[in-house]
Formats: sequence, structure tokens, C-alpha cells
Amino acid sequence: MLSFLYARQSGLDDPVRLRRAESTRRVLSLELNHNRDVDRIHGNGINTLDIEVIDGRYMLSGGSDGVIVIYDLENNSKKPQYTCKAICTVGRSVCRHVHKFSVETVQWYPHDTGMFVSSSFDKTMKVWDTETLKPAEEFQFDGNVYCHHMSPVARKHSLVAVGTKDPKVQLCDLKSGSRIHILQGHRGEILSVRWSPRYDHILATASTDSRVHIWDVRRASGSLFTLDQHNGDKSKTSSEAVNTAHNGRVNGLCFTADGLHLLTTGTDDRMRLWNSATGENTLVNYGKVVNESRKGLKFTVSRGCSPEFVFVPCGSSVAVYGLHSGELITMLRGHYNNVDCCEFHPDYQELYSGGKDCNILAWVPVLRQPDIEDEETNSKRGGTQAAINPAFEDAWSSDED
Amino acid sequence: MNRKRALIADTFCLTKRRRCAADSVTGESQADIRSSLQYLVTLFSRKLFNDSLPPVVLKHQLYSLHNDKTSVDKQVNELRETGELLMFQLGFDSEAFALVFAEDFRAKVLQGEAGRGTLGTVEKFLAKLIPSCSDLSFNKEKMLKEFLFTDSEITQLVKSGVLTVRDAGSWWLSIPNSGKFIKYFIKGRKAVLGMVKKSKYGEILQTELEGRRTTSQVKFQMKYHIHDIIGAELVECIQTTSGTLLRYVDGNVN
Repeated sequence: MLSFLYARQSGLDDPVRLRRAESTRRVLSLELNHNRDVDRIHGNGINTLDIEVIDGRYMLSGGSDGVIVIYDLENNSKKPQYTCKAICTVGRSVCRHVHKFSVETVQWYPHDTGMFVSSSFDKTMKVWDTETLKPAEEFQFDGNVYCHHMSPVARKHSLVAVGTKDPKVQLCDLKSGSRIHILQGHRGEILSVRWSPRYDHILATASTDSRVHIWDVRRASGSLFTLDQHNGDKSKTSSEAVNTAHNGRVNGLCFTADGLHLLTTGTDDRMRLWNSATGENTLVNYGKVVNESRKGLKFTVSRGCSPEFVFVPCGSSVAVYGLHSGELITMLRGHYNNVDCCEFHPDYQELYSGGKDCNILAWVPVLRQPDIEDEETNSKRGGTQAAINPAFEDAWSSDED
Repeated sequence: MNRKRALIADTFCLTKRRRCAADSVTGESQADIRSSLQYLVTLFSRKLFNDSLPPVVLKHQLYSLHNDKTSVDKQVNELRETGELLMFQLGFDSEAFALVFAEDFRAKVLQGEAGRGTLGTVEKFLAKLIPSCSDLSFNKEKMLKEFLFTDSEITQLVKSGVLTVRDAGSWWLSIPNSGKFIKYFIKGRKAVLGMVKKSKYGEILQTELEGRRTTSQVKFQMKYHIHDIIGAELVECIQTTSGTLLRYVDGNVN
């Protein structure tokens, strides 16, 4: 560590290098911390979490009871013991616009925290005004809405991609309120949609028909390509399974932070890493990634570390894999029931995970322990800091001995 | 925990990496996989099939011997490209691939075909297959145009067991007489998993499992099956102070 600091100071190393090394060290020491807690508001499982991009201060959560809660993650009290308070709630009794059934996805508006969008199994997607907590816009659909996503980099458009029970992916425009743009190509329910963080017109969608399509929304005719797990080698599978991304339903999608790679998870208990420009399967073998989710699985990738890590909910723990090596680094155990979603805070390298046990757990990097030397010198200098148990105090020997 | 500490050390200790840059990776690794394959081949019981089958190893058994699955896959593919190793789709699991050394395969197939009329066709097929082609299945076009086989020759190949029907107009590459192997393998795997499941708390030390007497269902050596269940992640491997513990994983299809 000292060598890194010296190299940074003298200009031998790039400034990014020290930051990356320290971020990696922090991610590798993630642990449950008894000092950090998140308010427990939900009465039923938590399906989705989202941390806003601007400050990284506010977190949204959506639960199976239809309730949406906003938490303040910043620690303004001077004590290390801190509970992330819930600032406001869109609750069942308080608000009459609340979702009737389970909220599946929530997302902050990518450019400021004045607005957020939530979609739910009550077949609606609502755009909320954070100030008044009332929906400014509501979109009705024909089937359960599994997921939605707004592009994090888009400046020219404000399209929300929505995946529902219908095999057609719908694009809703927030500026005009129209929803005529439809992407056709899937044959099953759409379980997950994701915009690329690199290009504002590239969209990936995953469906129960085992296929993942990559679309360019500016093109009128069909998808750019589908992801093929065998990279075109038709001899490896049975003929029905040709051109599929997984041997089961594909229920999770996540782009890496630079948008160059795409991760997909499927109910065949596999996770695959793809080159997002060519659609090639990089054949990184993560082993068995247990996946029994019937709806979408929300997982996340770290940012600013080298090597990058993938955090996947696996049963009642969160598995951490190295992104390009495929090895299992550790399992974060702490939840009492299935984990449904996890979200990475890039500035503090913290992980928040929510699950069916109604808890949101914060995984915080363990700080370096103070050196033993410092403690000793403190007690010599201080003397008032009585680290000794009064029963062992020397109260009877005199100074002359 | 150990892996994490090693990774942290890797990130911060540059000098060690520079020193060992020379003596690592490429040269050793191929030899590594080949020696693991040869070790697994010794665990295969030849006498069981009256010496009519070449020694078969499953690809996921290698995962139990080496940590990095991606590099194992890469090296297996390299060996297949050079024509040393052949890979087969076994059929009971879309992810279970069998590996056989090419010379063993050729020797056993020709031994099985000796004296039969189909010998010539099979020889021709093997000659085309072994050095260059690394496909798992063939469709009709390929057989007729690339390999220049006639329909009757294809029928002869299916009869001899080198090709198995996949669907109308395409065939899997297969090992002749492998039906018995698959049957014993599946039965044995189920029996060994049952042993782990029935143990107290559903877990058993690996050394204890190796020492147990095998039931009549288990025809292969215990170690062969243990590598299989560890590699296919049907049991969880936990390192303890008394050795490796195998814990049954719930939610298995078996």
C-alpha cells in the first residue's frame, strides 16, 4: 500500500491505479457490519433496489406488498453506528395511488432524483414525482410487467423499455406519453430488459424462450443479433436448442460498467459472459450458479475495481465471482431467506441486498485494524485510559520496591 | 477466505509477479491436463466391458482436479484441435461431455469392427475424423458433400455404433457399445449420491466415502464417481481440518 502511495506521489503510477487497487481490496473484504443497518419498513419480501447515480445518497426499494420506500444512505451523525433511515414511503394506507400488487422494478430517473419509475404485477407502470409522491403518469399494460429500464446515458431520448408477459417489448416515451414503438422477435414472456451504458440506442432483452436479443431502437426491422451460447457451432446441441443463450429461461441481464460485456443468467444454473458488440460467448465458466427464480433475477457488477466482480443472488446468499476468471471468490451469507436483488454502491464499494426475509442488508468493507503499536503508546501516554480491570490493579505495592 | 487474501496480495504485490512472470502458465498447463486425464483414465474399469470400450473420462471430472474451469475448457479445446482428444455428447445431460484419447478410440473401434463387413467404411470415417474434424454431430449435407459418403455407407456407420441418430438428417458422434457404460454410470452416480444423502446431516468426509464398500449398483471405482459428483457440483466441497467434506446439495434433479 505504501509503495502505491509513493508511486502515486512521485508520478510513477497513474492516479487511477491506486484507486483501483484500493477499491479491489475493499470489495474483497466485504462483510456484514453491525454498525450499519437499513430501516425495516417492508412487511413482505423486497424485489428490487436502486441507488441514484448523481450523489449515491438515496436508495429506492420496491416490495412484494406494493410499497415503495426511499432511504437516505448518507451518514451525517458523527457516530459509526448508523441506520439508513427511510425518508418517505409510498404505503398502502397513506397513498391511494399505491400499486395493488407486487412491485417488480423501480428505477430513479437517471438524470436527477425528482422522478422515479416503478412497474408492478398490477399491470401498470407509474412515473412518480418524488416531491409530492403522486404519479405524474401511468401506463397500462395487458399483462404483468416483469421489468423496465431507462437508459442511463440517453440525452436525446427518454424511452423506457418495458418487458411484460407479452412477447413484444414495448418502448414508452416519457416526453410524449406514447407507447407505439414495439420490438418484435421474442416468443415468450420478457423477463429482463437492459439498456447499454455505452450507447444510448442499444437494448438487450431476455425471455422465457431461452433467447436474448440485442436491438438497435433506431432500426425498424428486427433485432441486431441473438446471443448463441455455442457461437454458431451447431453441432454441440440438439436441433431445437440451436441459437439459444441458455438451456432454460433467461432471467437476468447485466451490462458491465463500460458496456463492453453483457452477463446473462438462466434457469439452467449457468451464467454466461458475452462480448456485447459481436454477441460472442466468451466461454468463461462460472460453474453452477444456482438459479430458481421464476421471474427476473437482479444482479450487479462492481465498478472501478480490477479485476471486476459479479454479485449474484444464489439462494439465500450472494455469490461473488471474478468477472473474467470465473472463479468463485466468496459467498456472502446473512439473509434468512432467498435473496432477490442486490445493488452495488460504487463510491463506497458497499453492497446492499434485499430478499424475501424483508431485510435489506448492507455489506460494508472491513476497515484496517489499528496497529498494535499505536494502542500501546496510547496507554503509556494516557494512563487515564484504564484498560486494566480494577480487580487486577496494583493498589498495595509501594514505589520503593 | 484464502482466495481473498491471495487476491489482495496479488493486487498489491507487484514485484513478486514480475519475478515469476517467466516460469508460469503456458508450457505447464497442457501437460497438467494431459496428466490429469491419464490419471482419470486409470480409474476407469476396463474389465467391466470386456475390453470393448476405450477408457472414457467426463469433462467435468477435470473440474474437480483443477480450480480454474475456464482454463480447463480452453486446454481441452486445444487438445481437441490438435486431434489428440475426442469429445462426445453423451445424451443424458446436455452439459455432460465424454472425452476419449483419439488413439484409444481408434484402436478399440477397429478392434470391434475386425471381421465385419463395415470395417472399410469405418476406417475411412476415422481417417477423415481424427486429425481434422472436432465436431460433435454431423448433418446429412456434411456427410454427403464434405466427407463424400453415400447413404448406404452412413447406414453402415450407424449400425457399427460410431454414429447415433440425433434427429432426421443429423447424427451424433458416439462410442460403440457405450449404452452399457451410460447405464452403469447413471446407476452408480445415483447410488453414490444416495450414500452421501443418507449420511448423518447429509455430509460425509471424502476419505470415509472412498473407504466405504460399494453396493452392487456401483460398478466403477469409487474415486471415479467422486470426481464426477464433485465436478458436476452435485455435492458441495468444504475444506475442514479433517480433510474435504462432501455435503449433498438440495435441489438436484437426481
